[in-house]
Amino acid sequence: MNPITSPKQDCILSCQHVGFRVEAPDGELTILDDISFDLKSGETLAIVGASGSGKTTLLGLLAGLDRPSTGEVFLAGQALSSMDENQRAQLRQQQVGFVFQSFHLLPTLTALENVMLALEIAQHPKVKERAKEALEMVGLGHRLSHYPRQLSGGEQQRVAIARAFANEPAIMFADEPTGNLDRRTGDDIADLLFDLNQRVQTALVLVTHDPQLAERCQTTHTIDGGRLAS
Amino acid sequence: MNSMALSWRLLTRQGRAGALWLLLAGLIIATAALSAVGLFTDRVGRALERQASETLASDLVIASRAPAPEAWIQEAQSMGLETARMVMISSALFLNDRSQLIDIKAVSEGYPLRGAVGLKADLAGEESRIASSPAPGQAWLEPRGFRELGLELGETLNIGRTTVLLSQALSYEPDGGGSQFMVAPRLLMNIDDLMDSGLLGPGARTRHRLLVAGDENSVNRFQRWAQSNLEPGMRVITPADGEAQTAEALTQARRFLGVAALSTVILAAVSILLSALRFATAQRDLVALLKTFGASSRLILSALCGLLIWLVLLGVVLGGLLGFATQSVLAEVLSNVGSGVLPPPRIYPWLGAAALTLMLAMGFALPPLLGLRTVTPIRILNRSLDRTHPMSIGLWTILVIAGLSVPSAQLGDPKLALIVLGGTTGLAVLLALMAWLFMHLTHAFSRIARASWRFGLAGLYRRRAAGIVQITALGLGLMALLLLLVVRSELITQWKATLPDDAPNHFVVNVQPNQRDAVYDRLASLGVQNLQMGPMASVRLVSINGESPPDDRFTGQVNISWVSQDQIDQLPPANRITAGQYFQKDSVGEVSLANRWADRVGVGLDDVLVFESGARTFEARVTSLREVEWNSFNINFFILLTPDAGQALPHQNIASFHWPQDDASKLRVITDTYANVSILDVGGLIQRVFDIITSVSRAAEVVFALTLMAGLIVLLAALEATRDERRHESALIRALGAHQTMVRRGVIIEYGAMALIGGSLASGGAGLLGHYLATELFGFNYQPSIWLFVGGLFSAFLLIIGSGWLGNRSVLATPPMRILRAA
Repeated sequence: MNPITSPKQDCILSCQHVGFRVEAPDGELTILDDISFDLKSGETLAIVGASGSGKTTLLGLLAGLDRPSTGEVFLAGQALSSMDENQRAQLRQQQVGFVFQSFHLLPTLTALENVMLALEIAQHPKVKERAKEALEMVGLGHRLSHYPRQLSGGEQQRVAIARAFANEPAIMFADEPTGNLDRRTGDDIADLLFDLNQRVQTALVLVTHDPQLAERCQTTHTIDGGRLAS
Repeated sequence: MNSMALSWRLLTRQGRAGALWLLLAGLIIATAALSAVGLFTDRVGRALERQASETLASDLVIASRAPAPEAWIQEAQSMGLETARMVMISSALFLNDRSQLIDIKAVSEGYPLRGAVGLKADLAGEESRIASSPAPGQAWLEPRGFRELGLELGETLNIGRTTVLLSQALSYEPDGGGSQFMVAPRLLMNIDDLMDSGLLGPGARTRHRLLVAGDENSVNRFQRWAQSNLEPGMRVITPADGEAQTAEALTQARRFLGVAALSTVILAAVSILLSALRFATAQRDLVALLKTFGASSRLILSALCGLLIWLVLLGVVLGGLLGFATQSVLAEVLSNVGSGVLPPPRIYPWLGAAALTLMLAMGFALPPLLGLRTVTPIRILNRSLDRTHPMSIGLWTILVIAGLSVPSAQLGDPKLALIVLGGTTGLAVLLALMAWLFMHLTHAFSRIARASWRFGLAGLYRRRAAGIVQITALGLGLMALLLLLVVRSELITQWKATLPDDAPNHFVVNVQPNQRDAVYDRLASLGVQNLQMGPMASVRLVSINGESPPDDRFTGQVNISWVSQDQIDQLPPANRITAGQYFQKDSVGEVSLANRWADRVGVGLDDVLVFESGARTFEARVTSLREVEWNSFNINFFILLTPDAGQALPHQNIASFHWPQDDASKLRVITDTYANVSILDVGGLIQRVFDIITSVSRAAEVVFALTLMAGLIVLLAALEATRDERRHESALIRALGAHQTMVRRGVIIEYGAMALIGGSLASGGAGLLGHYLATELFGFNYQPSIWLFVGGLFSAFLLIIGSGWLGNRSVLATPPMRILRAA
């Protein structure tokens, strides 16, 4: 049994001996096995690996979207496996931002409303003003009332980034943030992410299989066959 | 952020983008259909009640041997009710040395409280209807009375010590329907004159009635008060206890409207369930996203429930207004129906519809929404990790039963609710099973079939969970529509047929045995139709199985008849044996009873009854029980004897026939030749029953139109459920090079399979339910025709494939790239 220890004071994220298994038709399938690393506040980390290596699943566990089968994740100093779903939701509300590969904007809401929704959940005191600021920050101040279908892929991802940063989270998780975009738009989005990371001092964890994007992070971890390769 | 605020924002934002329209449309149509049906049937029902009230000339009658105490009148009036008094007495009048029995009805001012009396200022003239009673000093005599007494209009008549002026001929009394066999002519006079006449002395055989009318609540309140204060010899009579024909028609009417309303409820429920299922599926990503943002399960669940409440509120208000407007238009269109101007709409049916929509939403829309609480936030990153926990069957059952309990309770007819809802549940299970079986059987075939068949059948198999729900919903929707069609076209037509064009509209009474053949031949020679004649004797029930009847109410005089020996084993028309065996050629000492009388007196098969006629007593054993169609207006009797028991009794004969002409003056030759014989015109009574049938028939048409709207919404909701997936698949195989024809064929095959299963089972189910309703409730014998099956199947194909075709047209018209990029 691997020992679980309290994370260090300046650690925003601590992953200790994390494993994840699911039921499959042929028996139990191990997706992740004994993953451990720490991330300090404001730092950037890239998780890379081949398709199906388990990197997106790891991102989900790190963000508290699911519980690991073994090991422990400490987010903002709190052990996630001892928290129920609502407590983890509360933690995400206060500390976490997300950017997804397929944007996950609600098609029925405008750009402004998509950003507002996250702020409303977080009970931000000035929802509309803050949402507008966030969209202006990503260069979409003129597209507030546009629906996702009226925006290009790059613009949609900018809205998603504005939504993720609007509440100034302590840590940002990004799952293949440039995966659905062409190189040039992808570069713009990456610039924006790292720029905001600097400006807001948010720690950044991004999952990617783009080596160029990974190189821009302070640390890179490679997942191979569910285990940490470096 | 609180859940109500979140739900409101979801409502406005999602609503603006059109994501909620189907669920909202389902709720609006449900409320509109339920409230329109509820409001309309309430108005028709009240109009029918009002008609029925006319048979009592009031809303309620207190019948008694002595005058009702003054305190009763004061009590009724204190409740805001109108009252009138009535005294009835038979008296012999002596005119020109000849005595003539007349039936006096003396009434106070205000009579009739409901309906109107028909008067003629000239015996051969036109009838006019007025809601008024004779002024003191005046009296109105039935036309045959003038003939039998040899009097003319404008002459005077002595009633005891009083003299009255015969100012009008009385051609119709609203509450005279039950007096078809009244031997003596009716004289309607003022009650004060009768009081002064001296006829009401001690020992006079008088019958008193206190008539009461007013608003429904007050009448009900007074009825409760009266029931608890009844004194010996008093009884309460309501319209339901009134004349058999109207009461029976009214019960049938309520049942027809009940089936119609229940069909609408089923459709509304299915429509709400389908649109809620689609809505819930579409919300899974939203829920996962909200959870990712940090919203708790409780917040999301309360917000979704709040959203549903907002939607129900919107649906109830908009649907209620739509329903109100619809029924107003219908009431306007149907203003020519015989029942006359409909009473104004009340708020209760609308509130009932609102409550019902809420219950249906709870029962059918809440479960899919509750299922969303189990959505895991990891779904946002990887859908395959989203673990779905279907809601327990137990909770579903509780919510669905709760949802359907309101309409069943509202209906107040458990047997009807059991047949329709039980049948629906059975059909739902059968549809789901057949759909499952079909998919598995065709799955094997799809592997070896040609491309479009493979695409169509494989599509059905791949979406089998959704497909089973779709087929079940489509089948139930079609079944409800077809059932309504069966009710509207077949059952109501049969009901109308019970009142044929040649239904007897005249009765002949007091034909003495020695006049029988002559009167019969004379009537036949006049060209009357559907002539029937039979004996009638007045007897008293003395004992049941050697014991006195339990209630002295049953020891009074009762009319009986018997069959002739040559027709002994022929059941009279409009009669149906429900227990035992009808008379055989050699039957002796047997009696056949109408169920209604047998139930009331508490006798059954093999009981031995002893009757008394004058000084003679005779006994008969009950060998059969009959259901009698009183609406047929044939001569019918509660008690029918074998000839051996009846022939020796002193009796008269009565006849019924249909007189096809408006002018009945030719019939006077009978009464002129046989002075003791009376001919009674019951055309008004037939008209009343016919009006009820017409009203219900029109109402059923209206309900059908509304239900059709709900049915189309169900269809749309069912097909919408898998539209997105189908769009994506079509685009994909087109991108791979499939021709549009193949996609079209595949769609037709998939929808065709749904139509085949749904349509055939729905037609079968509607036919079976129609048959059960007809035999168990309406007393008809309905055999579903092959056309119902063919028509049902054809409509299913037309509607389902048509909607599928239309729905997928846009898919084929859109470049595959656009669809794939949007996915």
